[in-house]
Amino acid sequence: MQHLPRRILYSVILILGFVWILFSVDKSGLSTNGKIPAPQTGFLAPDFELKTQSGETVKLSDLRGQAVLVNLWATWCPPCRAEMRSIEKVYKEYKDQGFTVLAVNMTYQDEATKIPTFVSEQNLSFPILLDETGRMANAYQMRSLPSSFFISRDGIIKEVVIGGPMAEALLRTRVEEILK
Amino acid sequence: MITLFRSPFAPPRHLILLLASLWLGLALSEKRLERYQISKEALNNIIHFSLLGYIIGGRVLFVLANLSAFTHSPWSIFSINIDLFDPVGAFVTAVLVGFIYGQRQKLPLWASLDALTPLFATLAIGLSLSHLAAGTAFGKPTNLPWGIHLWNATRHPTQLYELIASLIIFGFIWFRKVDSPSGSSFLLYAALTAGARLFLEAFRGDSQLIIGGLRLAQILAWIVLAVTLFASERLRKEEQVY
Repeated sequence: MQHLPRRILYSVILILGFVWILFSVDKSGLSTNGKIPAPQTGFLAPDFELKTQSGETVKLSDLRGQAVLVNLWATWCPPCRAEMRSIEKVYKEYKDQGFTVLAVNMTYQDEATKIPTFVSEQNLSFPILLDETGRMANAYQMRSLPSSFFISRDGIIKEVVIGGPMAEALLRTRVEEILK
Repeated sequence: MITLFRSPFAPPRHLILLLASLWLGLALSEKRLERYQISKEALNNIIHFSLLGYIIGGRVLFVLANLSAFTHSPWSIFSINIDLFDPVGAFVTAVLVGFIYGQRQKLPLWASLDALTPLFATLAIGLSLSHLAAGTAFGKPTNLPWGIHLWNATRHPTQLYELIASLIIFGFIWFRKVDSPSGSSFLLYAALTAGARLFLEAFRGDSQLIIGGLRLAQILAWIVLAVTLFASERLRKEEQVY
């Protein structure tokens, strides 16, 4: 006699669960919807406009249509130094497929005079941007260096890697993902 | 609260919280061992082998799934990057390794799962704290007064919902007087966890969606709930037979 009420209870639980699933369907198609800019996977990458060492201005949203790696770094940061060669190697390999790197130096907490030496030592060919005010670092809620944001062609952050150095294989897998 | 977690020091707080909960959960499971006639050594071995399986399985399966990336830089296989990891593969490997170890040592399956349940329940608390620290598993936007500002919107505090649910579930498991039939603690834990996930997933802002906007996690939680209810009914029947 006890079995029947328990079975009924279990059936009611499962039916209610199923109804809840249907009730909570997300009709927008994507929960984050890609409209709100935030430095987190699934969100639109916060836009920024920064100057390169040569004074040229680069705006992230102008690169829409390209897969972008935004890498936050400083000359005094050993893991940043350690991963730069791998980034350069992967950049050269994939740039013809529409991949670009924006290496943003945290100039507001670095010595700008050391940047040219660093760049020539590492033989870097991608754009080096200067965050002189810390506004970009703030928009990306920078917690640790290096920090890397892999952004797809439609401007959505697909992956965030905090800390480093990133292994070359990790870079390749993430770059291939955002190039899709 | 999240800002507090995010401030000054840089170590991966979410991982530290998870490791702390693993240590605490193991201590709590050990405390209850005499109920299940499983030795402390056997329990520790299950955990250690499963952890080893988790770490190695997660890396190996990631490498296998991305072989072409590793052919260019084979040394990356040994990199300390924790992102070179397949979490689902790691979980499956850990379960398999734990199961095989238990079988080889002839440990009773249901009693072993019951013994491990306080650990699972504590890990769930650690996981929700870890989500809170990292700002992951975030909620969808809301106008409710208890919404929290996260990722540039006022959102459901899903990490807090998750924390409250996992604390309540832990309470159910830990203060439960009746512990029979064997396996009932584990099944109760699994059913409550699946039920909580099924309910709370509706408030998440990062759900993986499938056909028609259905949330994948809810479908999986519903299946787990159905299986655990069916299994607990069978256990009860078997106990009555004997």
